[in-house]
Amino acid sequence: MIDEDTARRVLGKALSLGGDFAELFVERRHGCALRMEEEKVEDSSSGSEAGAGVRVMRGESVAYAYTNDIGEASLLETAGVAAAASRGGGDSAVSLEKPLARLPVLMEHPVELDIDEFPRAEKIELLRRADQAAREAGPYVAQVVVMLADSRQEVFVANSLGEMASDLRVRVRLVVQVVAARDGEIQTGHETPGMLGGYELFRTFPPEEAGRAAALQALTMLEARPAPSGPMAVVIANGTGGVLFHEACGHSLEADAVFKQASVFAGKLGERVASPLVSAYDDATLVNRWGSFCYDDEGSRAERTPLIEEGVLRNFINDRRRSLRDGLPPTGNGRRQSYRFIPIPRMTNTYIERGTAKREEIIADTPLGLYALKLGGGEVNPVTGDFIFAVTEGYMIRGGEVAEPVKGATLIGNGPRVLLDIDAVADDLDFDTGMCGKEGQAVPVCTGQPTLRVREMVVGGTTEVM
Amino acid sequence: MERGEGLLDLAREWVERGRALAGAGVELEVFAQEHRGLTVKAFGGEVEGLRYSHSRGVGVRALRGGRLGYSYCTGLGWEEVKRAVEEAVANSLYGTPDEHNLLPGPAAYTREDLGIHHPEVEETDSARKVEMALELERLTLAADRRVAQVETAVYADGVAEVAVASTAGVEGRYRSSDCYCYVYSMAREGDEYQTGFSFDVGVKPSDLDLSRVAEEAAERAVCLLGSSSMPSRRTTVILDSFVAAEFLGMLAAALSAEAVLKGRSFLAGKLGEAVADAGVTVIDDGLLPGAPSTAPFDDEGVPSRRKELISGGVLKGYLHNTYTASRAGTESTGNASRGSFRDRPRVGASNLFLQPGRGGREEIMREVGEGVLVLQVVGAHAGANPVSGEISLGAVGLLVKRGSPQQPLREITLAGKALEFLAHTVAVGEDLRFLPFEGSLGAPTVAVEGVMVSGRG
Repeated sequence: MIDEDTARRVLGKALSLGGDFAELFVERRHGCALRMEEEKVEDSSSGSEAGAGVRVMRGESVAYAYTNDIGEASLLETAGVAAAASRGGGDSAVSLEKPLARLPVLMEHPVELDIDEFPRAEKIELLRRADQAAREAGPYVAQVVVMLADSRQEVFVANSLGEMASDLRVRVRLVVQVVAARDGEIQTGHETPGMLGGYELFRTFPPEEAGRAAALQALTMLEARPAPSGPMAVVIANGTGGVLFHEACGHSLEADAVFKQASVFAGKLGERVASPLVSAYDDATLVNRWGSFCYDDEGSRAERTPLIEEGVLRNFINDRRRSLRDGLPPTGNGRRQSYRFIPIPRMTNTYIERGTAKREEIIADTPLGLYALKLGGGEVNPVTGDFIFAVTEGYMIRGGEVAEPVKGATLIGNGPRVLLDIDAVADDLDFDTGMCGKEGQAVPVCTGQPTLRVREMVVGGTTEVM
Repeated sequence: MERGEGLLDLAREWVERGRALAGAGVELEVFAQEHRGLTVKAFGGEVEGLRYSHSRGVGVRALRGGRLGYSYCTGLGWEEVKRAVEEAVANSLYGTPDEHNLLPGPAAYTREDLGIHHPEVEETDSARKVEMALELERLTLAADRRVAQVETAVYADGVAEVAVASTAGVEGRYRSSDCYCYVYSMAREGDEYQTGFSFDVGVKPSDLDLSRVAEEAAERAVCLLGSSSMPSRRTTVILDSFVAAEFLGMLAAALSAEAVLKGRSFLAGKLGEAVADAGVTVIDDGLLPGAPSTAPFDDEGVPSRRKELISGGVLKGYLHNTYTASRAGTESTGNASRGSFRDRPRVGASNLFLQPGRGGREEIMREVGEGVLVLQVVGAHAGANPVSGEISLGAVGLLVKRGSPQQPLREITLAGKALEFLAHTVAVGEDLRFLPFEGSLGAPTVAVEGVMVSGRG
């Protein structure tokens, strides 16, 4: 996208008034978004975008400026704005000492059916297939929304350390939302298969399956009773359960929160923070996973980062800024939503590693508790670790067996305490896709988890436990 | 942004050239946006981040025989826009025909000064804005000795220009400026940390009251120190205005005629019925002077206006854009809304607020006597479902006994159904405040009785 000489001139301009580090990020992106509701294609949209951002760091301060125009004149002007904005410690130019060296272009996430070659009519057909399967799943399906989005993002990063990296990311994701209604009672279900790759996604995840799964969730919840409230054992099913670790622990492991002492895990590297049954990783190298890439948005290599190993805290989730300031190796977690944003430490594919137990054994060993099959969104206060999660599909466990479905349950607790309270981990690791929001930036992530049991959590519901 | 009619002139020109390109039988709408902004983050007495933004983009809606296509591009050159027009027209081939897909016709917009733009944002030196962020951090730290640090203190502003033009004759433009500040404080006692948040918003830097924001953020964190959970029980909850506004966000989604028409709203089929206590009146006013979402017209060029959606507890109407109004056989309420030029217009609230009643927070606590004062809720995105009306949220706050706040509370949840919350609203205060995030939602302190509050015991 950008040649070496242009990059050099822009970085030189960025450091013309001083600074410790400068970076140029250039991006082009295009893709389409389709939406079907009421069996009608109501959104048929596509768009393209180009932009570049220049960052200058000086000590703990960061200045950033971006533009939609990626011609050299505009890049130089943008670099000038960033340079002027960072002017706090003098104005003597810093020269680029190292020549720029292009890092190898990597193709670790093959794309078989590219988004630009896959016919639009066939994309519409995928919507129909998901929609029909959902509508045929049961008599009370009232509404189905199916959204299909694909994107092709090219990024280029050059920095004053002499690194130059490019990455190409093709992504496809389907979102199915189903509303079921009966006698004034309304319930919802959703399913979201996605991958870093092309339309081969639907060979592995046929749209019918996503449609059916979302519908069954909504239909099941129509039968559900109000959830009980109070403390009890909770078995969290594999797949979506990973969002709990992501929210309640992952965000507190991000280096910016740790640096600000705004994290419950600050200062605890090397200490035991979880049950010995728990190992957790952040891994952007998982082939074709929704949250993967070859280079992050700062040009660092994707990594598999051990966060917790057998209960001991091993690493934080780092970006370039913290690794430069604190002398830590970058972990390939510097990400940004687009050229419009400053990169910050973000998760990629974050998961709790599989254990050795069997799901059936864990349930059989639970006299009374909640089986959280699907979690919705949640929120956490990284400073205290307090979190809450909506259980979108849940069942009571009675006498070691899965019993009646319950609705309106939430899980409430404290991240560090839950980690210590995990007393069983199964061998059925599975992943789910999501968009993670932080400081107004959304990035694609996977969350993963095997079935596991937490000794006790507070379930927020509307009835007493029977 | 220097030009008078600049963006509208461009939009008109693109509509004309687009019409020639697309040929007869295609209707086009061009929505253009330009935004310049500055964000300053302070941390530890330093400028942690300074971001200058400048973005420009154009969204094109194409209609052909009731089929809708959309496309967008960044930049303001005809080459990019031309491609967007071509793509939008091509995309319309794949849309399902729907007779209600219509572009609104021309309309007269208010000529009154809505107070949404002030030159002060552009005239204020960025050094002064940097100082404001640093000052907000300093003031918050100084507000209470238990404030251990400030997680982040932010000053941000922006100036935007929006223009819309179409083959149906819509022509409109406006400029707006906005600025806001917010701060997250961290209070500490022993090894317990609590966070508190506050903000202010206006159309110019001098609107922002940094001292008040700092004191409130400190107070909201400090008052939670020493918190514990409580046994589960049904009780009266007093939602502070920040929290009540979050609940209003759920109501906004359910009041969308699009959600209603498509069976995705717990308010569907309830027009003319009592859906809330008689003390509840909910208004959406796109012309409210100086409010965060005020503009002369909505995101497809329909004039903004004020409407009572819930009046004395009775559901009077929904939020409409041109499409939903056509389907429902009514008029658009000027509530077409899009996130940015990248999105086609859907339905959204403008300035949605709960009409204030009487008394402040202290008075309402005295009236209620026993209950829970809720200062923060978490999980609103997942735990407040506008489709089913199910509410299940984590909360922190204070236990209220004999009319005054006592023990701080954490790790509790509130659960119930939105319609029950509305029906059991027993008090609406006078302390209306607008929350500028997620659109513009305004609420005073509200008390709701008989809510299930769960805790650890």
